[in-house]
Amino acid sequence: MKLAYYPGCVSKSTGKEMDASTRAVCGALGIELEELDDWNCCGATHVSNELVAAGLAARNMAQTDLPIMTACSICYSNLRAAAQRLEEHETLEKVNAVLDKKYSGARIRHALDVILEALAENDERIVVPLKELKVAPYYGCLLTRPAGLYSPEFPIILEKLIKRLQAEPVDFRLMTICCGGPIFMPQEKAAEDIAFKILSEAKRAGAEVIVTVCPLCHLMLDAKQQVLEQKHGVRIGIPVLYVTQLAGIALGLGPEELGLDMNSVSPMVVVERMYARLSE
Amino acid sequence: MPIGVYVCHCGLNIAGVLNMEELKSFAEKLPDVAVARDLQFSCSDIGQEQIQKDIAELKLDRVVVAACSPRLHEPTFRRAISKAGLNPYMLEMANIREQCSWVHMEQPAMATEKAKDLIAMAVAKAALLKPLEPESIPVSKNVLVVGGGVAGIAAALDLADSGLHVFLVERRPTIGGYMALLTDVFPTNDCSICVLGPKMSEVYNHPDITLITYAEVLGVEGSVGNFTVSGVRRARYVDEKLCKGCINECAGVCPVEVPSEYDFGIGKRKAIYIPYPQAVPLVACVDPKACIGCARCVEACPAQAVKLDQEPQDFKLNVGAIIVATGWQPFDATRKEEYGFGRYRDVITTLQMERMLNASGPTKGDVVQPSTGKIAERVAFLQCVGSRDSTVGNLYCSRICCMASLKNAQLVKEKYPHTDITIYYIDIRACGEGYEEFYVRAQKLGINFVRSRVSCIDEVEGELFLIFEDTQTGEMKKVKHDLAVLSVGLEPDEKADVLGNLLGLSRRPDGFFEIAHPKMRPVEAHIDGVFIAGCASGPKEIPISIAQGSAAASKAVKLLHKGVLELEPTSAYVDPEKCIKCKLCVDLCPKKAIAVKSPAYVDEAACKGCGSCAAACPADAINMRFFSDEQIIAQVQAATEEKREFPLIVAFLCNWCSYGAADLAGTSRIQYPTNARNIRVMCSARVDPSFVLEALRRGADGVLIAGCRIGECHYRDGNYQALQRVNVLKGVLEKIGLDPGRVKIVWCAASEGEIFAKDIRDFIGELKAMGPIGTELKKGLSEVKNEETALP
Repeated sequence: MKLAYYPGCVSKSTGKEMDASTRAVCGALGIELEELDDWNCCGATHVSNELVAAGLAARNMAQTDLPIMTACSICYSNLRAAAQRLEEHETLEKVNAVLDKKYSGARIRHALDVILEALAENDERIVVPLKELKVAPYYGCLLTRPAGLYSPEFPIILEKLIKRLQAEPVDFRLMTICCGGPIFMPQEKAAEDIAFKILSEAKRAGAEVIVTVCPLCHLMLDAKQQVLEQKHGVRIGIPVLYVTQLAGIALGLGPEELGLDMNSVSPMVVVERMYARLSE
Repeated sequence: MPIGVYVCHCGLNIAGVLNMEELKSFAEKLPDVAVARDLQFSCSDIGQEQIQKDIAELKLDRVVVAACSPRLHEPTFRRAISKAGLNPYMLEMANIREQCSWVHMEQPAMATEKAKDLIAMAVAKAALLKPLEPESIPVSKNVLVVGGGVAGIAAALDLADSGLHVFLVERRPTIGGYMALLTDVFPTNDCSICVLGPKMSEVYNHPDITLITYAEVLGVEGSVGNFTVSGVRRARYVDEKLCKGCINECAGVCPVEVPSEYDFGIGKRKAIYIPYPQAVPLVACVDPKACIGCARCVEACPAQAVKLDQEPQDFKLNVGAIIVATGWQPFDATRKEEYGFGRYRDVITTLQMERMLNASGPTKGDVVQPSTGKIAERVAFLQCVGSRDSTVGNLYCSRICCMASLKNAQLVKEKYPHTDITIYYIDIRACGEGYEEFYVRAQKLGINFVRSRVSCIDEVEGELFLIFEDTQTGEMKKVKHDLAVLSVGLEPDEKADVLGNLLGLSRRPDGFFEIAHPKMRPVEAHIDGVFIAGCASGPKEIPISIAQGSAAASKAVKLLHKGVLELEPTSAYVDPEKCIKCKLCVDLCPKKAIAVKSPAYVDEAACKGCGSCAAACPADAINMRFFSDEQIIAQVQAATEEKREFPLIVAFLCNWCSYGAADLAGTSRIQYPTNARNIRVMCSARVDPSFVLEALRRGADGVLIAGCRIGECHYRDGNYQALQRVNVLKGVLEKIGLDPGRVKIVWCAASEGEIFAKDIRDFIGELKAMGPIGTELKKGLSEVKNEETALP
């Protein structure tokens, strides 16, 4: 299978491990990724102006005829929203008037969906089955918006993938609420409260690992975790993995390929426990 | 063909502005005119007698009256000439009052010039008039009512009591609809089945009602007065005539138990069942999906009524009118996933609550938590579930849910005074007789009201929590309840789609069937002889559904009671030689009056004469009996015979709205320039592009087409069709080098005289900027010349 790959800006900054693990996992699954030529912002920096956001997204989507995959839910949401807006003739005309390569439709996929599709049941490529690993599926808000493949309240696709990797999804009540990231700038305290609530709920649910599909969620739950622990005087200590990292571990990819050293809360204790099974 | 022309003074209304002498002598010289007279008041007895005298003495065979609007006195003069022996359709009116003297009071000379054109146009059209005979057709005095809910029952009883015969077709095994399943009903809290039950048996026993239950309509052919309806009566596997309705014998031995759809899933029934004790007809029914074929019921039945080999039966009915009372269906609460309906057992819907409160319902009137069976102590009602909610695509208010929850809350409170009840609402809509008082009563009973749209329901270790923002305090809250009742909205019954498609009914954006006019024709469909009653055309409470059922019945009685139907002879007809069978007309026709059966054929009883098909026909095979192509072209030619002013505008006005707006500008004395020569057409869609091209070719500087406001077409979507044609036409003009702005389409309602006047003023301004017709062609030529000379 060959897909166009849209890394998104985070892949060059706070989400390098998302990019590395996406490429590594796709490589392992035999999915050929062709990085989009000369890509630009997905439109997230201009969400308040629908036309500009659609234009930015359209410029990306016009670069290829292949289905476009991204691992970032923000990019995924923005590209899909743009594709929907561009179905309106008026918007399409305005956007195409300023584009060199004209936009004429695109199919956008999330890495989560691509990986799940590529992994058959009882797949032999799963060399490190994540048996008994308790995983909290955390969707955040953007994967399911605008409405599309998955239900916004009960998307269940992450649970499916977690089970396919032979891990156990925990009953995690706050899986679809906002991580607080989008309001972090204007409402820092409110954002932190939400993130802390999510982390506490994951702990209550007995999660050993939280899996995310969005770099902003990841930032809020992983990079902020230590600060939140100090602020509330509570130990949480749950590693937060990108879905691509979790899949990569099961596929037997090494910590370096998956960028596991870049996570703020080190997943290595958990990962080593999984690897240890191999030698058993 | 001697034509008589009568120019009316209308006292000083016309004569005060226009030069009557000049108009009379102008009319005298027009071709075929045998006599032209000016009359003080042409509509008075003296005026009419003069016209009748001339018809007799001068052997006039057609008459032109230049006076007020034909919308006012056309019927008067038609009657007058037919008394003198002429066919009433041999009359044409020139509107020189509302559309001339009253709107050009300060320009008498120019107004007189315009009136000359209007008279010349009327005479030109009159020369081409043909006598038309209104056709009478015999009609069936039977009426089909589809849907046996409260609206259908009301319609059926009124019709049958008026002496028409009714076929009442119901999809379910019993009539009664949703009302029969409710407990007490607001605002008086009387028992629902106690008031409906007697009506249901009246239907069953009425000699003039044929009740066909457990049946579907599958085909409708024909048109107003004579519909042929076919359908199928599904197999009940029980002989209706033999069954005694005892049900305990057969259901008692039936080994299969399934959730009962009549209890909305909270109760159970057997595979052989009667929906509820008051069902009509009181006949058992076998659910083939549940039945395992053990035949124990066959043995148990003391009347040998169970017939497991029963076959579905086809039926065919001839009816003159059809009443669509197909009702509604509850919003599927699982679509609001955040409320957990279907996952949390203690989240239920209004209808389940109704069944629980019902003394003959599954809990015998107890309000319990389904998960534990214990009496619920903290009950929440959540309003607007599936209504006023764009996330599920339902922007409308379902109208009855506020009152239903107020009622159910009161019933619970009366039964269990210690219950803690909260209604979560956006707005309480209690607007009906006695409704606000009912709301106050609920407040006095101690029911809590929280203004909030609940964000989600969470179940933690078997306990329900509502999470919401109280918008009166601004706080986020999480409150525990035992039972959450989702006040589900009303949606159009999707199973009614089959009938809707068969009849060609339109649906509004909210999905309900559209009525012919949103205010003035509340129970009529766009299709003649088809009426809509009750929730099929939108959510309604019981009294309004009943009123609509009765209203639809009276419309049907009015239509059919004489046994004959007189048809307006203004329909379209097809020249079979010219028809190329392209079927373009079939899709355009708002009345589904055209079928292509090699060649096309117009059902003249169904045709309303809008003329869109005639304008669209690429082979010119369709023409209209009234407002014919030839007549309109003759009007265009007369208007452009002598160009009396610049810019000269030929304006086509739709009969229903824009012609009315032009008349209103007159009665309101709104002044505007004289440039437009108005031609009345039934619909803006009647305007054939060839009319426009003919006008421009003959020197009109611009053509205006005015229709009803978008969405308000009196046929269906004629104004959209006109818009589409104008857009194509603009392209054509551009190709031949004319400014596309010379053809303009505008919308104005009959109440918008000022807007009509403004449209005329604006268009004049635009045409002045363009210059006389052909200016752009000359300019184009000189540009070409300049280029040529610039070449070396």
